[in-house]
Amino acid sequence: MPIEYQKKQALFRDVVSVEEAEGLLEWLQKKPAAKVDLSACTHLHPANLQVLMAAQTRIAVWPHDANLRAWLENALSE
Amino acid sequence: MNPLLEQFLSEAREFLEGIGEKLMQLEQAPGDASLMNELFRLVHTLKGNSGLFEFPEMTRVLHAGEDLMDAVRNGRVAYCRGLADQLLDAMDFVGLLCDEIESAGRIVASRAADSARLAEALRAQIASQAMTDTARTSEDSTPAAGATAPAAPATPPPAPPPLADIPEAVRVEAYRRAQDRDSLYWIAYTPAEECFFQGDDPFFTVRQTPDLLWGRIVPREPWPRLAELDAYRCLLDFHLLTAAPRQELAEHYRYVPEQVRIMAVDPLLLVIPQGDSNGGPVSEDFAAAALHHLETGDLAALEQAAQTLLELSNPELWLSSALRWLLLLLDRVPDNHAALRLLIESLRTLTPPDWAAASAAPAETAAAAKDARPSGRVHAAKAPKPRSELSEEDAAALAAIFAAQRQILMLDDHPAWQPGRLKAVAGVLVNCCKASGDLTAQNEIEAALQEALATGDSAPLLAWLDGRRRGQPTTAQTHPAPAGADLTANAAPASGRPQPANSSPPPQSPATVDEAPRFGRRAEDVIAGPKSLKVDQGKIDRLMNLIGEMVVSKNALPYLAQRAEDQFGVRELAREIKAQYAVINRIAEEMQDAIMQVRMVPVSFVFQRFPRLVRDISRKLGKEVRLVLQGEETEADKNIIESLADPLIHIVRNSLDHGLETPDLRRACGKPTAGTLTIRAAQEADQVLIEISDDGRGIDPGVIKRKAYENGTIDEATLERIGDREAINLVFAAGFSTAAEVSDLSGRGVGMDVVRTAVEKVNGTILLESEAGTGTRIRISLPLSMAVTKVMIIESDQQIFGVPMDHVVETVRVPHTAIRTIKHSQTTVLRGRIVPLKNLNTLLELPATPKVNADDELAVLVVRAGGGMVGLMVDDFRETVDVIQKPLSGVLSDLAAYSGSALMGDGSVLMVLNVKEIV
Repeated sequence: MPIEYQKKQALFRDVVSVEEAEGLLEWLQKKPAAKVDLSACTHLHPANLQVLMAAQTRIAVWPHDANLRAWLENALSE
Repeated sequence: MNPLLEQFLSEAREFLEGIGEKLMQLEQAPGDASLMNELFRLVHTLKGNSGLFEFPEMTRVLHAGEDLMDAVRNGRVAYCRGLADQLLDAMDFVGLLCDEIESAGRIVASRAADSARLAEALRAQIASQAMTDTARTSEDSTPAAGATAPAAPATPPPAPPPLADIPEAVRVEAYRRAQDRDSLYWIAYTPAEECFFQGDDPFFTVRQTPDLLWGRIVPREPWPRLAELDAYRCLLDFHLLTAAPRQELAEHYRYVPEQVRIMAVDPLLLVIPQGDSNGGPVSEDFAAAALHHLETGDLAALEQAAQTLLELSNPELWLSSALRWLLLLLDRVPDNHAALRLLIESLRTLTPPDWAAASAAPAETAAAAKDARPSGRVHAAKAPKPRSELSEEDAAALAAIFAAQRQILMLDDHPAWQPGRLKAVAGVLVNCCKASGDLTAQNEIEAALQEALATGDSAPLLAWLDGRRRGQPTTAQTHPAPAGADLTANAAPASGRPQPANSSPPPQSPATVDEAPRFGRRAEDVIAGPKSLKVDQGKIDRLMNLIGEMVVSKNALPYLAQRAEDQFGVRELAREIKAQYAVINRIAEEMQDAIMQVRMVPVSFVFQRFPRLVRDISRKLGKEVRLVLQGEETEADKNIIESLADPLIHIVRNSLDHGLETPDLRRACGKPTAGTLTIRAAQEADQVLIEISDDGRGIDPGVIKRKAYENGTIDEATLERIGDREAINLVFAAGFSTAAEVSDLSGRGVGMDVVRTAVEKVNGTILLESEAGTGTRIRISLPLSMAVTKVMIIESDQQIFGVPMDHVVETVRVPHTAIRTIKHSQTTVLRGRIVPLKNLNTLLELPATPKVNADDELAVLVVRAGGGMVGLMVDDFRETVDVIQKPLSGVLSDLAAYSGSALMGDGSVLMVLNVKEIV
């Protein structure tokens, strides 16, 4: 599972594919205050990204992948 | 290149040809719906085929073309000449792509943009016409409104990229890169909303962009509430700044060119000071001092002052940011005073220098802005005289002329007429400039021409053109820019003479200028012709005849060798002749094979008409038939295949009419309602086998026998004696028909007889097997080729005869004692089968008895005749030879015993026996 849903936090791993977006959206709808941990994520499909952006989800840990982090910080911090 | 692609390319060319032709015809008859449909079908098929391969550029254009044709077909868009022109243009483009694929195996990346442009133009036709249509219908009184509507709505000029959003550090880096001769591009990537469903990952594409300097992801619209969010509708836009060459970017985004806007970024536009705008008074003083330094040319002092002020200022300030840029510019382009001045001026107002607004054309001509702005605002006296406005068309024409001249200059051959060529180019350029109101350019061109003539090199003129292309005049004295220096900045003359922005660069839209892509073919273009060649069949036949003659005459060589040895006793020579013969023999055989290959066509040539035929007939008869075609790729000589066409149609008709039952009847028999008709072709040794089988009611031998007896085909004795198998083959007899009445399909009693004759004409055999109730099977076997016949030579009564190898089953020596006489016929038993024996001499009415060899054995040639086997008693067997059989003509044509004659290598004539007739 590229996304591991914990109690208050979702753990993104490796490449998070397009199929995950639906589940992520549902989960975030249920838990608006949840955070995501992107540390182990190397790439995520933009469908997921736009869900995170729209939900204004707080990021608990930014990705280790510097390139991805730069992109996401830009997009998710606004 | 794989065969599929090869086929696609050759087909595509045919389609393109067809499309062009249809378009031409449509011009004559614009209202012809069938032509229109045909055209649509062609475009549609071609598009579908192109989809098999990874040629998005091609498919995109064809798809747009297809849509347009569809719109025309449905009357939504009226056919007009302009539309045809565009379609032709698009098809030329596709042809160009085909050439590229053929020569390079792939499509050059830069085609993506062209393809997108063409597709857009085609679609614009639909849109604009539809618009005109509505206009027309709403306001019938003013039809002119529709007529004058532009073909393609002019797109508003793209908004300048919001470069200020890029962090200063990135911009500084980008600026440095640009100074190091990298080009900068701003990419706005707007993925289609449904792109996720097509498996796209725009984010991934973006992350892989070459030489990415900076990028961001922005939502396209305010985010809806989470409950209403559709995760799979792409709402993201991507903005990037990259230093990769355009070519590479086009390649990277080749699948989505219509979703990407790539804009060149002038490095100067990146110079945007940002920050806290407090601290005005200091900057006012500094600006005054700095301008003074600049005017006196004391750049060192300017740099020092800036450095000092920067150290004293809070780095967060707007002022500091501006100073940092000032230092960078001083460092990289100290000669560009105009730029420096503008930047210093901006310190006074604390507003970013307005690089863009000052220039006429965005981005690309920004360099000119450096000059235009100070002269326009600060030194009003030196304002450039208003330049004559060029219409868009003129500008494009001008650009095209310049591009052409450029190409001429780029020619790197150095003919004797080089000076003349240079003068001609210069003349054209001067006239163009005059026409566009640019009078000062003349001197520059003259100077460049003089320099060019002196050196015999076109470089100075090229340099002028290059300078102009970037939208600024270049003095003839411009020397090659020092490496690393800013080309654009350098162009501002060091002398300080304000160069009026008089070049009036034609308002160029970036894509159309230098390439001016037109895909129209000109007559002199080298056309990569298709690799297949259409040749008149007569020519091939002639080749075939010639090689036949050659085979025969080469056969004379062994005789010659024999003569040399026997008559003249020169053994050495005989051996050499034989060696030569071996070589010639090999070449002749290969040649014969090659020519034979040329004549080979697949049976699909005949088969392809069956699906339609079967469908039509079965519908007429109210039967359900499933047609199965197998082995369509089997090849045989064209003549053979052609001779097969009519018999096969007869047989298929018969099967449908007599063989297969109606659905009700079939159901009653417990068979599936749909009958199956199988036509199978296969190659077996040097024969082509065609088998037509159905699962219909079969043939009842009883009926056949009775009918045959009734119409006198057989007599009463035969009726009693004949077996079922033979009875069935009676259908091949002339005039035989079982149908009670004549229909338009069958029943005239010429069917199977004609079939048999046709098959036998090409030395084929036909055999019918049937089982009442379960179906019928007809097997036709044909020779692969009929030009050269293999015959076995036999000897009888001191004469030689040929027997076609097709008929020969085997040759045996039968001892006298093994021959039994049953009634009056001689027979023998071969491997458990009784084989009737016939004396060839008797059959030919030669008054001699067959000779026996030393072991008292008779030579028996077992031949196939009429479905059975017959042993022919002959004197001796000889070799088999390839001969070209010529039919007997004149008075001899009545001799049924011989199927033809052939010329032997030694000049003698070989009579070829017609086995079926004599047995």
